[in-house]
Amino acid sequence: MTARLLAWLPNPILQVLHGTGSALFLLVRSLRHLPSLPRQFGRFIEQCHLIGYTTMPIVGILSFFIGSVLALQSGHAGENVGYKQFIGALVGLTMARELGPVMAAVLLAGRVGSAIAAELASMKVYQEVDALETMNIPPERMLVLPRLAAVLTMMPVLTIMADLVGWFGGAIVAQYTHFISIEPASYFANLRQYMDFSDVLNGLIKAEIFGFTVVLVCCHIGLNTRGGPREIGASVTRAVVTSLILILVLDFFVTKALM
Amino acid sequence: MTNNPQQTARVGLFFLLGMALIWVTFETLSGGKLWFKDKGYQLVAGFDSLKELKTGDDVRMAGVKIGDVALTRLAGRRAEAVLRIDSDKRIKADATATIITQGLIGTGYVSIDLGSEAAPVLPAGAEIRTAATADLNTVMSQIGDLSRKLEGALGGLGSALNGDSRQPGLLQKVDAILAENRENLSRTTANLQQITDKVNRGEGTLGRLLHDSRLHDELLAGVAELKQGATQARGFLANAEELVAEVKRGRGTLGALVYDQKAADDLKASLASLREVSEQLAQGRGTLGQLLKDDSLVRETRALLKKADRAIDNLDDTGPITAVGVVANGLF
Amino acid sequence: MPAANSNSPLPGAAPAVGVKVEGLAKRFGTFEVLRGVSFTVQPGEIFVLMGPSGSGKSVLLKHLVGLERPSAGRTLVASHDGADPATRERVRMALVFQAGALFNSLSVYDNLALYPREHRLGDEAAIRDRVMRALQILSLENAVHKLPAELSGGMRKRVAIARALVMEPQLLLYDEPTSELDPVMSATITEIIATLRQRYQVTSIVVSHDRDLALSIADRVGILMGGQLVFLGPPADLRQPTDPRVADFLNPRIDLEHPRFKHLET
Ligand SMILES: Nc1ncnc2c1ncn2[C@@H]1O[C@H](COP(=O)(O)OP(=O)(O)O)[C@@H](O)[C@H]1O
Ligand SMILES: [Mg+2]
Repeated sequence: MTARLLAWLPNPILQVLHGTGSALFLLVRSLRHLPSLPRQFGRFIEQCHLIGYTTMPIVGILSFFIGSVLALQSGHAGENVGYKQFIGALVGLTMARELGPVMAAVLLAGRVGSAIAAELASMKVYQEVDALETMNIPPERMLVLPRLAAVLTMMPVLTIMADLVGWFGGAIVAQYTHFISIEPASYFANLRQYMDFSDVLNGLIKAEIFGFTVVLVCCHIGLNTRGGPREIGASVTRAVVTSLILILVLDFFVTKALM
Repeated sequence: MTNNPQQTARVGLFFLLGMALIWVTFETLSGGKLWFKDKGYQLVAGFDSLKELKTGDDVRMAGVKIGDVALTRLAGRRAEAVLRIDSDKRIKADATATIITQGLIGTGYVSIDLGSEAAPVLPAGAEIRTAATADLNTVMSQIGDLSRKLEGALGGLGSALNGDSRQPGLLQKVDAILAENRENLSRTTANLQQITDKVNRGEGTLGRLLHDSRLHDELLAGVAELKQGATQARGFLANAEELVAEVKRGRGTLGALVYDQKAADDLKASLASLREVSEQLAQGRGTLGQLLKDDSLVRETRALLKKADRAIDNLDDTGPITAVGVVANGLF
Repeated sequence: MPAANSNSPLPGAAPAVGVKVEGLAKRFGTFEVLRGVSFTVQPGEIFVLMGPSGSGKSVLLKHLVGLERPSAGRTLVASHDGADPATRERVRMALVFQAGALFNSLSVYDNLALYPREHRLGDEAAIRDRVMRALQILSLENAVHKLPAELSGGMRKRVAIARALVMEPQLLLYDEPTSELDPVMSATITEIIATLRQRYQVTSIVVSHDRDLALSIADRVGILMGGQLVFLGPPADLRQPTDPRVADFLNPRIDLEHPRFKHLET
């Protein structure tokens, strides 16, 4: 029955279903090794370093400008309508609930997801993964689990930094743009009036979901690379594109679910 | 496999920094109230419509946040908002809750006024008094209509009170009557002598009236109060003119009076009464004069004085328009 | 040389295992790589599997360690199904990959230390001992801290063998350990394979087209062609092969008048 149904589905949908299913299996296989995590502390730290520490500068730079441009655009649009004084709340809420987590996840996909996919794809192509298996070392345990744990640990840190840097970027623009010129004190007072920590928390939860998905998907695509070295590049592309699509699709549903 | 200690330290520092930032943000935005949220106590507020009010919106007293909307629900034919009030905030039993829609893009909040100082405090779970307010959209759609109505009504009021070129207004008439009353009163006094004579002559129906020594005093007091009423009515007129001017300037301060259908109806009714008064005054010039010619008139005068008394007593709470209405109705 | 001592990477405590391949067939899509291959390898034996490139030798080895699932037939390692992942937990098998499959991000030392660390076979000092011993056996002491990318082809092969040794395997599979090596290095590796078997009685299956290797150290030889075994017997029988295909494979004549590729074209 199911087999019949599956056979009728067009190929792209079939591929999506297959990818989703096998990625979830990968997750389950990885989570089975959860007790081994304390022993892999070294690998966990290494991945935290890659995912968190080395990704921070670009997240900082990007969110600064995102916050700035948010303030600039809303200030420009609101100049005549008269909601200029709401720029603080506007930038604050947008960064915390939407752009902070999404930007952090997008950068994670581009910077870390691609690296993960490339590394695992190369390990697969050069039979390192096979070697692990013959050595009775489950690749999920060694390659996937520490990364998942690391991304869960680092995403909130990256996101809160993105949020705060974005807010400050907005504040600076709001202060020094002549047609806005709102004092930082009023900007932040407005932000605080209309924001609650639950808004920030909402963003942090989203970021965790995005980050986790990105890492899982990139691991999955990397580990399922077949063929020669050429496929490594193809896998990286696929991993990043899939991650980006998933971030935006998930964003919609997670936002809706969290409302 | 073996990490260099520097890397571990960096990751540790980075993580702690992140956690610290989250904590600071949390403290700044929620004042540490997310996890240890003040449970407070609850009040129920019933409305015809909660408009844009939703769970989590502020409850403010005199503009200061004192709680939030814990729940919104339908209860029979009305909508109820369950308000969570900080446990250290007291709400007076006569305080009124209204829903305020905040600006063009803002959300709503529940505004509770201070109430009177003497009133008892509402206990947890009690129902708070509410007043309906128009939300911005309704106001927008009705404002043209309302201002037209208001202008017509207040214009009518003005002409009723002050009169126009053809006809003297109520106030002029009242003034005139009061001026005449002085004469009438002296006539009344003079006629009292006649009444005494008549009583002596055994025409007993009026006897009781004349034995009642308060009549004269009451009459005098009544007239004095009537005069005071007229002064107040004049004061009201000045206020009303200001009101009209303000409405014309587009100020929203008229608030409830303007938007509340009941107030508008009251206004209309009052105006109608005023017109009536004015007509009756025009015809009834001789009423006081006829006082002594008819027995029943004496009885009526007594009843009337009592009514006027009551009306003037009510003057303070019911406001000028209705007071004048009541006085006028009672008198005639 | 004494047999395994207690510190040796190959204590010999675990008995060598036998291997049985029964009617093994493998298809990739419609492409049949193996069509019913059967043979048996005795415990402690050196079995050399020969055959032209693309005949499916590597595929056959992968079936033994469970990296491929057979389309038909089965493989048995110490009477456990080779396709069952649990077999890897019961029998220690090591595969020396054709290309080495060294972990490129790890140093030589860490490549070797990974297995004992992951399986928690002793503390760091014991692991160090074990790793250094394996490196010594293959004369790799100088390469301890190098990354795989910094090694020569011969060294990579030796590191791959050393990494297999650290596992103290009961079954050692070599995939073309001497190809791409100069004759001296080939001879060295051949000697190593023989020495390991001699010292530790490990069952060895060597995939190779190296005739000298087969003739000098094999207990038995199998020749795989077109997905089937065309020869199975002691190396002595290879000196006068009866099958013309085997003869041609072992002693290809270079005929410039009638080149092989011309035959293939027509
Ligand atoms: N995963 C695979 N998918 C499809 N074809 C494969 C796969 N692995 C091997 N083959 C094919 O099987 C044949 C045998 O490969 P292999 O065993 O590597 O040859 P060799 O005997 O040289 O080691 C080759 O033609 C190769 O193309
Ligand atoms: Mg091969």
